[in-house]
Amino acid sequence: MKADTSQFPELDKTKFEQRGTEFKLGIPVTNAVTVGNSIVVGFGDGTVRIFTSGKSSEPIKAHKGIVLCMSKDGDNILTGGDDGRFLKISLDGKISEIGNFGTRWVDHVTANNGSLVCSSGNIVYLWSPNHKEPKLFEHNSTIGGIAFDAKGRRLAVSRYGGVTLWKKDYSNKWNSSELNWKGSHNKVIFSPDGKYLVTSMQENQLHFWRLKDKIDSAMSGYGAKIKSFAFVDDSKYLATSGAKEAVCWPFDGDGPVGREPICLPYVGNKLVTFVEPFPNENAILTGLSDGSVFLSEIEKASNTIIIRSFTEFEVSAIAVTKDCSHLLIGDMGGNILWTSIWDEEKK
Amino acid sequence: MEETNKQVPVTVLTGFLGAGKTTLLNRILTEQHGKKYAVIVNEFGEQGIDNDLVVDADEEVFEMNNGCICCTVRGDLIRILSGLMKRADKLDAIIVETTGLADPAPVAQTFFVDQDVADRTKLDAIVTVADAVHLSTQLTDHHEAEEQIAFADVVLLNKIDLVDESGLEVVKERIKKINPFAKIINTTKCGVSLNEILNLDAFSLKRVLDVEPDFLTSDHDHEHDDDVTSLSFVSDTPLDMEKFQDWFSKLLQTKGQDILRTKGILDFIGESDRYVFQGVHMLMDASPMGKWPEGKERSSRLVFIGRNLESMNLKEGFENCKSA
Repeated sequence: MKADTSQFPELDKTKFEQRGTEFKLGIPVTNAVTVGNSIVVGFGDGTVRIFTSGKSSEPIKAHKGIVLCMSKDGDNILTGGDDGRFLKISLDGKISEIGNFGTRWVDHVTANNGSLVCSSGNIVYLWSPNHKEPKLFEHNSTIGGIAFDAKGRRLAVSRYGGVTLWKKDYSNKWNSSELNWKGSHNKVIFSPDGKYLVTSMQENQLHFWRLKDKIDSAMSGYGAKIKSFAFVDDSKYLATSGAKEAVCWPFDGDGPVGREPICLPYVGNKLVTFVEPFPNENAILTGLSDGSVFLSEIEKASNTIIIRSFTEFEVSAIAVTKDCSHLLIGDMGGNILWTSIWDEEKK
Repeated sequence: MEETNKQVPVTVLTGFLGAGKTTLLNRILTEQHGKKYAVIVNEFGEQGIDNDLVVDADEEVFEMNNGCICCTVRGDLIRILSGLMKRADKLDAIIVETTGLADPAPVAQTFFVDQDVADRTKLDAIVTVADAVHLSTQLTDHHEAEEQIAFADVVLLNKIDLVDESGLEVVKERIKKINPFAKIINTTKCGVSLNEILNLDAFSLKRVLDVEPDFLTSDHDHEHDDDVTSLSFVSDTPLDMEKFQDWFSKLLQTKGQDILRTKGILDFIGESDRYVFQGVHMLMDASPMGKWPEGKERSSRLVFIGRNLESMNLKEGFENCKSA
């Protein structure tokens, strides 16, 4: 730990900012996705950059306008853009086009076991491995989000009025069932244990369904739209943005009904805009609307440390490498912090 | 302030089928204006010719799940505007085209309801292209045409070369009766300078101060009860704030479906500031707007545009708000 005090630290900089590399690119960061020990970042000018320890990160021009969405596909990245293109990008920067929808945006992408999925408008397109033509799943409104369960047998598609749940039977045929709840549903995720489905809504609330008995409920009380939420520590907590605290709902046991969430407060009283689980820990990285980022243990809020101080721009992406050696923070002002997590000595 | 903190102005382009909206869009897209515009359209076959951006959208009207039946928004707009705000290059303006039969209210309400949209963009104005030849019939046959006039900040009265002078006056009177504060611009082939329709800031509360509606609306000779009309009220006696809030909030709650737009400047007793508001159906934007100008008489002015206004006892309600 001596390294931190041996020289006068730059004023107000955290040890991560001093140790890591800061990039002031001026281009909004739209996404960051972990692929092994690299982190791939998407930007509002259609480029992606790949961050790997010991390597430089050059911009790769992928889309004409905005990288709207990204997802991991094995060792590759899938991206969707406002140029209507659905792309696969390898870690050495090779781009291949999977689909092209012209003036229609590709709003969501995901993958599971070689199946590649995107949505454009009200249609989900699924390319099975070794199939040239996609299978189409049509819905009654524009799609707010898509997600596979861990096994890839269920595909959840959120939309206006609820979620359509597509299930693959053993003859590989997809059948749909509807989970309805009034209002417009955006991002959707499965809990890692496959028991729950959670959506964020146009209203400042989340909705969840327990899949075994279709019991559903709202999680409300937020001051803003919930743009970022994720399950932590397998499926023990659902960490959420949209309030001035990181609100963590308990999903162990019988789920959150009738239970209080744990709320993690942060100095500065700013809105939480991004939450990212810290791998294999009951802890989250929380990004705020002023650009600051904290690491907190959910059940021990006093164990909170600051990772990045404020930049004035809302945090729009946080990702940790698979080996937990590095993390990356991006914001809407195009500022990136790429840093090792542990001191050299500790390593 | 820095560019990054600026809200991008959004112009909504409405107009009945065949009025000339596509002509206007083509003009915007082909003109050498040196600005970066994004145009959100419904099934428009063309690409931007200059450096403009054309985005395809489906008009998707969503009901907000907040118990308010007239609170509808355009879901596709929320998605697209939020997406556009992630662009690296700053847009000078965004133009939203609506289909011929669209009600402009959900578009306008989107800017009141969605915080992300309201933070980064602002509703600049609703521009309605109207066909001077066919508008009168369209107004009689289709309530959507009435709504498009009622919501307009600017009416481009197009194809004036195809009507005679008296015909033109009749159409203009009809427009003014529905909407006394819309600016009417006569055009042929939508020949209008873009700065007359873009960047007007018509929805800012400051602009409400300029409202000087034509008081031609006291003649109650409309043909059908569900015609859109407007009513204006003026009072030199200061109003009682509590009484006004009681009356007005109840009015919007119960009659908000029929009240399309409201604007007003209010003089409350005991308050040195002018109060300004404007609303779309049940949604309102209101704020004190500085002191009354020195030497100018203080008075309250209120304008309603809507259906069945006669049945709402507006005059009586307004009179009751006067202080003692």
